[in-house]
Amino acid sequence: MAIVEFKDVSRVYRNGDHEQRALDHVNLSLEEGKFIVVLGPSGAGKSTLLNMLGGLDSPTEGTIVVGGKDISTLTPNELAEYRAASVGFVFQSYNLIPTLTVIENVALVKEIAPDPLSSHDMLRAVGLEDHIHQFPSELSGGEQQRVSIARALAKNPHILLCDEPTGALDSETGVMVLKLLLSMARDLGKTIIIVTHNQNIAKMADVVIRVKNGKIQSCENQENPLSVEEVDW
Amino acid sequence: MLLRKLFRTLWKYKAQFISMVIMVALGIGVFLGFNVEWYSLEVNTGEIYNATGFADYRIYSDKGFTAEDLEAVKGIRGVEDATRYLSLNVSVKDDTDTLALTVSENMKVSGILLMEGEPYSPKDPDGFWLSDSYAAANGIHVGDPLTLVYQSVTVSGTVKGLVKSSEYLICLPDSTQMMPDYSTYGYVYISPVMLDNAIPALYRMIAGSLYHQINVRSSLDKPAFVEAADRALGSTRLILSKDETVSWSEAQGEVNEGKTMASILPVLFLAIAILTMVTTMHRICASEKTQIGTLKALGFKDRRILVHYSAYALMIGVIGTALGIAIGYGLGWFIMNPDGAMATYIDVPSWTLYAPRFTWYVLIAINAFLTVIGFLSVRKMLKGTAADALRPYSPKRMKHLRFEETKRFKRLGFGTKWNLRDCVRHKARSLMTLFGIVGCMVLLVGGLGMKDTMDAFLDVFYEKAINYTTRVNLDEEHMTLEEGKALAESLEGDWAAGLAIQIGDKGYSLEIYSVTRDKVRFADTEMRIVPLKDDGAYICARIARDYHLKAGDSLTFSPYDSNERYTVPVAGVLDSMTEGIVMTEAFANRTGLDYTVSAVFTDEKEIPDSPHILNKQSKQSIMDSFDTFMDLMNKMIWLLVAAAVVLGIVVLYNLGVMSYTERYREMATLKVVGFKDSKIGRLLISQNLWLTVLGILIGVPAGIGILQYLLTALAAEYELKLTLGPATWLVSVLLTFGVSLLVGLMVARKNRHIDMVAALKTDE
Repeated sequence: MAIVEFKDVSRVYRNGDHEQRALDHVNLSLEEGKFIVVLGPSGAGKSTLLNMLGGLDSPTEGTIVVGGKDISTLTPNELAEYRAASVGFVFQSYNLIPTLTVIENVALVKEIAPDPLSSHDMLRAVGLEDHIHQFPSELSGGEQQRVSIARALAKNPHILLCDEPTGALDSETGVMVLKLLLSMARDLGKTIIIVTHNQNIAKMADVVIRVKNGKIQSCENQENPLSVEEVDW
Repeated sequence: MLLRKLFRTLWKYKAQFISMVIMVALGIGVFLGFNVEWYSLEVNTGEIYNATGFADYRIYSDKGFTAEDLEAVKGIRGVEDATRYLSLNVSVKDDTDTLALTVSENMKVSGILLMEGEPYSPKDPDGFWLSDSYAAANGIHVGDPLTLVYQSVTVSGTVKGLVKSSEYLICLPDSTQMMPDYSTYGYVYISPVMLDNAIPALYRMIAGSLYHQINVRSSLDKPAFVEAADRALGSTRLILSKDETVSWSEAQGEVNEGKTMASILPVLFLAIAILTMVTTMHRICASEKTQIGTLKALGFKDRRILVHYSAYALMIGVIGTALGIAIGYGLGWFIMNPDGAMATYIDVPSWTLYAPRFTWYVLIAINAFLTVIGFLSVRKMLKGTAADALRPYSPKRMKHLRFEETKRFKRLGFGTKWNLRDCVRHKARSLMTLFGIVGCMVLLVGGLGMKDTMDAFLDVFYEKAINYTTRVNLDEEHMTLEEGKALAESLEGDWAAGLAIQIGDKGYSLEIYSVTRDKVRFADTEMRIVPLKDDGAYICARIARDYHLKAGDSLTFSPYDSNERYTVPVAGVLDSMTEGIVMTEAFANRTGLDYTVSAVFTDEKEIPDSPHILNKQSKQSIMDSFDTFMDLMNKMIWLLVAAAVVLGIVVLYNLGVMSYTERYREMATLKVVGFKDSKIGRLLISQNLWLTVLGILIGVPAGIGILQYLLTALAAEYELKLTLGPATWLVSVLLTFGVSLLVGLMVARKNRHIDMVAALKTDE
């Protein structure tokens, strides 16, 4: 069943007379519980696609339907509710609140998510149960990224959106993070969408979407994706 | 190219730039304004004191002084010049106005300054040199005829000149008046020849010499002068120094008041301006760190980068100073211009504004200091290699606080924890916010409290203590005690007798009251109305303070022009408008004092004409003169309130924007996670409100402390008791809260425009 549908979606940025078409009539349908990788060079439009899906930005044309709901016409407040309930974000630069401890960073979603999961359980799931009272600045990059994943999961979202989640990590830590994300799809049935430059990550994906010049070049289903260990990092 | 960058940087941080310029302008404006006020007053009054030969000492005698007495005084070593002098209240014919008829034999001492008309001539037989302010208030011009009446004697002549005199710099008919009223009271000078020739009848009426005063210019100190004068004149006289005259002490009081104000409020403003500058410059340089690093990496020398960013701080200083000078002079002009309340109070020929020289040095120092702040802020970012400088500025790492271990902290919501830790992490910013709120609160409590205190003071003295409709002043020199009592009885009034006395070598008034009809009341130092008892003398709070006296102690005084000394018990301390002693008729009689009735207090509407009556003053006319006085006070207070609000808004907005910029990324994260704008806004405002509550809690005692300090500094002039009305509490708290909430909302509105995508892409 399609959890995400892009119907003729375009996003145009205007700066004076200059017009930039970041997404150009994109049509896309993604199924629930899949591990999806979006590949493309810089400026291809992959982050814009992720931002549209995450409700951080709205399309200039077309409709985006997530879980049967059109999110392209939502007001800013409705978009906030959508982000709180349906999607989790993981960023390259972690974006944790520096003045909150690990457990508080995760628990803060309880303030807004309608059906949050236990913060302790999520931190246990990402292997950080011993660091819960530390501040982000006291953790390594990989640990911070795992906190950010725990925070995204604690909202109990249907979709986890990850923008270059391993971009700031060394390869060993990156593999650990990817393994974690993959298990979220395989074990918890979450839809994981990762935007990356890294071709290797695509080898693990159920679906690989290639984006270029704001257009979908291809959208392939991989019958036999590799496991994390099988990929040559 | 760097210059272009400087202007672009300025534009980029325009909110901070404008708020810092306003803070500096406000700080310098208030600093300069208050200093311009007292210094201009000092210079403008100093000019007329010098131009008219204001006397340093006044020797009094009921019998008058002879030409030989004058020569004896002139012969004292250390006396520069002296004159025989007469000042006598006379009536204007066919009018209720009173003029102080004045003669100075030697116009180099206690003379006049010609504003219009003929120069004064000591031999002029029929010329009046009239107060120009009185002439203006009554439509009198040079060349107009004028007739004065004293008892049954009339003196006629022509107004030949309009003048000012430092002897009447503050022209009050008696101590019950606070403000001059030139429409009813002024002064007029005539020549000694006119005095001798034109009014011989007056001469005959006064026993002995006409001149009851010798005014002296001398640099001797008071004890030395008193000793020398007593020796020269052969007996002890009442000698008052210029400090004991209204025209000097009140004007100096105003100058000192100004100095006191200038030493507190501007310091507060300047301190806030400088601290805001320190915090803001540091934040701007931190935000510009990668640019600073880029310039360094490109090969720009540290010196050039330092100059570039220091110029930014200097520019703030220079623009702020220019605006501050305009505000300062504007403030000075607002307080004392020829049409203002100060000009009604103090009658000087011109109100030119002057700034004391030190203020210019302070302005230069402030600009240098601001530049150093900029210099140090950017130097901190330049430390180390170019690669170090290129790294973005990272705020201090979070550390666990001791109170985080408490159960109560653990139970707090995420927003509270977030805000608490943010306050601790950004201590300088939080302290500055607190400082701004405390400053706002202090100014409001101080300003409005001053008004409450003055209102309470006036309420006691003029609403409660004055329980009569009319004060009838009697010609005490030409009536007996019995005649005075009989007149008081016929008017169904209470009466008072006034004596001039000395305690040590300082002159005071002694008032003897017969209060049987509750027309006059007295307030104690707690502003409570208390009855007078017959078992001692009541002293005013200033005498109690100066001589360390309290109820039960004894006090020694001697009546003016007498060698008699009286030692009396102190029955109590009163809060009084005038500096002096009060006692009942019964106690005065027991003490053996000699006196006659000088004033009757009555509610009678029809007061029959009597040769014993000098003049009548309605309670309303006394009250009206305070309204003018209060007008000046109110102007100052509204200025303070306005300054407090501007200060609060500017400081809080600047710091609010700073907080917003610093937490931009965190707020973007919250927004991405799913927090609504309103919830993020509430988080931002709640931090402001906590600091506001804390600021108010600190600001209230601080405001009371500063008000008490001001009242203590003013204690030589007024016996004020600190009073704060409920409206002051309410207005101060609500206004401070209002300012904080308004600024909080202004800043919180900005979070709607957070660009989540852009914010989260940047590196921490």
